[in-house]
Amino acid sequence: MSQTPVLECAGLTKSFGARLAVDGIGFRISEGEVYGLLGPNGAGKTTTMKMVCGLLEPDKGSISILGQRAIGNLEVKALIGYVPQDVALYPDLTARENLEFLARLYKLGRRTVAARVDEALELTELSDRRDDRLDSFSGGMKRRMNIAAGLLNHPKLLVLDEPTVGVDPQSRHAILERVQAFGREGLAVVYTTHYMEEAERVCDRVGIIDHGRLIAEGTRRELVAQLGEQDRIELSASGNLEHLAEACRAVGGVSSAATADGSVHLVATEGRHLLPAILEAADAAGISITSVDVVEPDLEAVFLNLTGTALRE
Amino acid sequence: MRTAFAIARKDLRQRVRDRSAIVIGVIAPVVIAGLMSLAFNGVNSFHFTLGLVDLDHGPVAAELVKSLDAPQVRQVITVDEVSSTTLARSEIRSGDLAAVLVIPAGFSSAVTGEHPEPLTTITSNNATIAGDVTTSVASAFVAQVNADRLAFATALAAGAPRADTSQLAGVVSKLHIPLQVVEGPIGAHELKVISYYSPGMAIFFLLFMISYTARSFFVDRAQGMIERMRAAPVRPVEILLGKAISVFVYGVVSLATIGVVTTVAFGADWGAPLPAALVGLALVFSVVCLTALVIGVARNQRQAEGIGSIIVFGLALIGGNFFFISSAPSTIKHLALLTPNGWAIRGFTDLATIGGGLSTIVEPVAAILVFSAVVAAIALSLARRAVTS
Repeated sequence: MSQTPVLECAGLTKSFGARLAVDGIGFRISEGEVYGLLGPNGAGKTTTMKMVCGLLEPDKGSISILGQRAIGNLEVKALIGYVPQDVALYPDLTARENLEFLARLYKLGRRTVAARVDEALELTELSDRRDDRLDSFSGGMKRRMNIAAGLLNHPKLLVLDEPTVGVDPQSRHAILERVQAFGREGLAVVYTTHYMEEAERVCDRVGIIDHGRLIAEGTRRELVAQLGEQDRIELSASGNLEHLAEACRAVGGVSSAATADGSVHLVATEGRHLLPAILEAADAAGISITSVDVVEPDLEAVFLNLTGTALRE
Repeated sequence: MRTAFAIARKDLRQRVRDRSAIVIGVIAPVVIAGLMSLAFNGVNSFHFTLGLVDLDHGPVAAELVKSLDAPQVRQVITVDEVSSTTLARSEIRSGDLAAVLVIPAGFSSAVTGEHPEPLTTITSNNATIAGDVTTSVASAFVAQVNADRLAFATALAAGAPRADTSQLAGVVSKLHIPLQVVEGPIGAHELKVISYYSPGMAIFFLLFMISYTARSFFVDRAQGMIERMRAAPVRPVEILLGKAISVFVYGVVSLATIGVVTTVAFGADWGAPLPAALVGLALVFSVVCLTALVIGVARNQRQAEGIGSIIVFGLALIGGNFFFISSAPSTIKHLALLTPNGWAIRGFTDLATIGGGLSTIVEPVAAILVFSAVVAAIALSLARRAVTS
């Protein structure tokens, strides 16, 4: 493996007017590593990715790709494959025409363009639809095409910005499999998501981002270890969930409580032993709990513990 | 440059697939130029049927009828004698006659008497020009009669013997008011209606390229395609250049196709091919610059459509795409010289009427290029911002 990181960012800062979108973010990614940027919507993930890809100029900070300064350096863009959050392709062109056009932007020769297009279509299992217009594709197929377009230049760094949003489970599975394979094939991948399960499944290391700041970074094991003996507890209840969360916070041993997805998420030391006290607090608040789930510490618990809020609020 | 050509090629591929682009670029201008030519073709060969009601049948009325049979008048008027005013009115209503001239009973004797018997013209609201021509013919005849009367009276007052009045009347009747106004084309050839409206409509629909392309730019941006292009090693100016090349190629093909079709199908005269092509190229270049300006000024697709439409219709109205600029008020004539389409129409019509070669189009082409340079200077920095924002 090369010693030079494929991507190194330091102190990245970006404001839009008075709003500070990214606040001093720094991380590095090596060859063959899949790095996840995990955070809720609006945390600053996409802004960070756009700065990495040269689409936004940071107010402060530095970015280097394979040791080359990236900001304002057009040539470095040839090393990056960018897969934007929304499908960015022409619906009135065929799959082949879309990819040929995008490949030509990298100033590749005619034969190379043809070969890269075939390769990208094969990789994303869309070869049989090469001459069909994009507007006849399913949502999942468009997502795969979106990824195929990011591979045309044989990038050293692949930036995937929430590539599974709005995708059916089968296509999602296929995309995640492919992302893991990219890492195994030696590609450095930055993968942004607000799905904790995806980050846990495909990423070698994860950076947790909230309100524009990188608040924790490490492997899943390293991040979960920060929790110590803490468990994550999910409570389903009928009644006011905010009141329930507030009641639970008063229970000794509960370090954080937040509502998300119609339930209350708690992080608590030795959570199993605290269940009677939690149920009692709920009862006192006049809320009847319908189900209790004590889960192994995970990235959701880490995020909850660090921010006091759930990933998907 | 290679990247710009790739963008242009892709844009043109999309444009060819978009049937509305073919309709706007070729079919609509040809059809509308043809329709306008049909609608206004009568201007070149104006002719109408005049109903003549002669209730007098005297010698002066006979002279009037004879004057309507003159060769110059016959080019414009076919005289149809009608027995009564009532019948003439009904034929006007039915559209068989465009106008009627009534010679009243006693008209001839009134010429030498003291109580005038006026000629009456009856016109249809749908044939005002025929009415004007009839009134002019009648007025000219009356002026001639009055001149004769004056000459006769002057001769008598000067002492001509009254015994020779019939001889004197014969001499006076041979006198004619000299023709003082002669109309003729300004150049070597008369401008045909189709030769005006073919470039007029071609240019009008070419101007639509401005809002069409600006709108498609913002659609691209909304779809994330501009961002995707910028994620590749592509400079913003290359993206703009690619768009400009596609507009230019589409515009040139559109103008050339309309030129060939209207020449072959309707006999339009665009002038000599090389100077006409130079006027066309200059005009398309100005359209490219105006497109960049709209992209630079607008913030989104809706604004691009709105601003583009204002520019298209503003230029078309001022530049004379819808009407003969020669018949416009002088303010409009002067304003037309501030528009590239106005200069282009002037270039094409000069080529069709004056003829000549490159010397005929030096002024129009230079004016269009100056306009383009000014617009380009404003547009370039604004449009670059639209790509990077």
